[in-house]
Amino acid sequence: MEGSQQAETLAEKVDMEKSPPGWKILLTEILRDKIALISLILVVSIMAFVYGVSLFLSQDEIVTVDLFAIHEAPSSDFWLGTDYGGRDIFGQLIIGTRNSLTVGIAVTAISGFIGITLGVIAGYFGGTIDNILMRVVDFFFVLPNLLIIIVFIVIVPQYTIFSFVLIMSIFAWMGIARIVRSKALKERELDYIKASRTLGSSHTKIIFKELIPNLSSIIIVTMTLNLAANIGIESGLSFLGFGFPESTPSLGTLISYATNPTTLEQRWWIWVPASILILVLMLCINNVGQALRRATDAKQRRG
Amino acid sequence: MSILTINNLKVHYPIRGGLFRRKIDVVRAVDGLSLELQRGETYGLVGESGSGKSTTGRSIIGLEEITEGEITFEGQNLSELRYRDRKEYYKDIQMVFQDPYSSLNPKKRVKDLIAEPIRNFENRSKEEELKRVQELLEIVGLSPEVTYKYPHEFSGGQKQRLGVARALALNPKLIIADEPVSALDVSVQAQVLNFMKKIQKDLNLTFIFISHDLGVVRHMCDRIGIMYNGRFVEEGTAEDVYENPQHIYTKRLVAAIPDIDPENRKEQAAFRRQVKEEYKETEHNYFDENGSVFDLKPVTDTHYVALP
Repeated sequence: MEGSQQAETLAEKVDMEKSPPGWKILLTEILRDKIALISLILVVSIMAFVYGVSLFLSQDEIVTVDLFAIHEAPSSDFWLGTDYGGRDIFGQLIIGTRNSLTVGIAVTAISGFIGITLGVIAGYFGGTIDNILMRVVDFFFVLPNLLIIIVFIVIVPQYTIFSFVLIMSIFAWMGIARIVRSKALKERELDYIKASRTLGSSHTKIIFKELIPNLSSIIIVTMTLNLAANIGIESGLSFLGFGFPESTPSLGTLISYATNPTTLEQRWWIWVPASILILVLMLCINNVGQALRRATDAKQRRG
Repeated sequence: MSILTINNLKVHYPIRGGLFRRKIDVVRAVDGLSLELQRGETYGLVGESGSGKSTTGRSIIGLEEITEGEITFEGQNLSELRYRDRKEYYKDIQMVFQDPYSSLNPKKRVKDLIAEPIRNFENRSKEEELKRVQELLEIVGLSPEVTYKYPHEFSGGQKQRLGVARALALNPKLIIADEPVSALDVSVQAQVLNFMKKIQKDLNLTFIFISHDLGVVRHMCDRIGIMYNGRFVEEGTAEDVYENPQHIYTKRLVAAIPDIDPENRKEQAAFRRQVKEEYKETEHNYFDENGSVFDLKPVTDTHYVALP
């Protein structure tokens, strides 16, 4: 009893000398890099604002056509004017950003989960398993994914955010799987993995406690950069007309109004805010991603 | 009774090539090695790079697939057991790795590093576990204050001590030290080696000491096996090998040990020249027509040499 108490006080004393854990290094790196810091604050506040405000807006109400308010310029009633259906652009912008972000985050999460799982398995076990999984990855890479997504959207009559996320995720996991696999292949040759084996740890335990913590930095960086890319792909598809229908606004649908020359020249309020927003979001997420990438490589760190 | 017996161990790696990646040849990393180890002794495995000494060590602990042969630990043939059953025996065999920089997980704190084997094999409460970790740190001469540090905050010698502490955590009977000091500078080498000798005496450990540093091996080992191309060329007590080398390969190795005493400089140079002459004249007598080593033949009770 006395012994354990002693150990406890000892633990308390030495607790204060804990060295900085990984996330603190990430944080200092971002704090040092002013551009990344501003970007992070911007992204977080845009997200908070969009998700917060959209709680008070009703999507059905906003997308309802109002024939008495077609193409109105910004005013106190309609902060950012209205489109050809008399629908409030400000409301569409908020809901659209929310939809785009949700799609981007969900696709990143799902494709990340698939990619990390397969990448870690391929890299850790290597050999035949690696060979088979990498051929599957190659197969998915050669598929013309844009074409398949478009065909899917044409065939399925009533697609929702959920099915759109699924179809995009199916074609987005290969990149992260390859990156994670290559890093896992490198890590698995290091002695600490072999040491764990000789100390009696099982494969599952080694993967979760030894391998994945050492891959975490590259996973965080890739996921962040993927997030920007996935938001872009969603907007791109919507712009082409293969994304969400007009009843589900997104950043892409708003920008696609600019394909009408009159709108492009005379009704800037419809497409300019959405374009700026998507530009700012992509740039900021990329900046944060770059700072995270630097933080994971001690040689490039600024802190 | 001997603690570990190796009987005709072979570890071959396939070389694949041609159509359908057929097995066209094999690399004979270890090719027919037999060895008996008594409890409490230190056995030195010596040889040049690629002579199969590390492969031997790794196959004892199960990191390499054995092509042929038996490894018997305390009367139990390890290669017959499946992984799950083998685990119990591996509790008694531990390894100290060559590179202290890569053998410790950089993301784990010292406490978790050393507690890993304890968590795998013993059921202890948090306090008991912490107490055991700090006990082990004390054995290897580190203060308990380092419990919550990361490996990169230590010097090479301290890291190697952490590796030793981890290997000691389960009170093993046999420790395989794979060039435990070759990555360290000389002053730290002495520190780690003397410390290993001390714990051997205190805890009655058996060591297999893999090294290519002949000075270190002489300092540490009771018996020595000299390896070449996956086979023993000479085996005997430290005295047999150093004072009375019989095989030309061993003679050349012993002649290559540097002596810093300037008094003996001329004699040393003469001795080296003499061994070189002998090597030129008699080399073909010691190897068969394929260039591989003969089987061991007893010279005295303890001394075995591979002669035709």
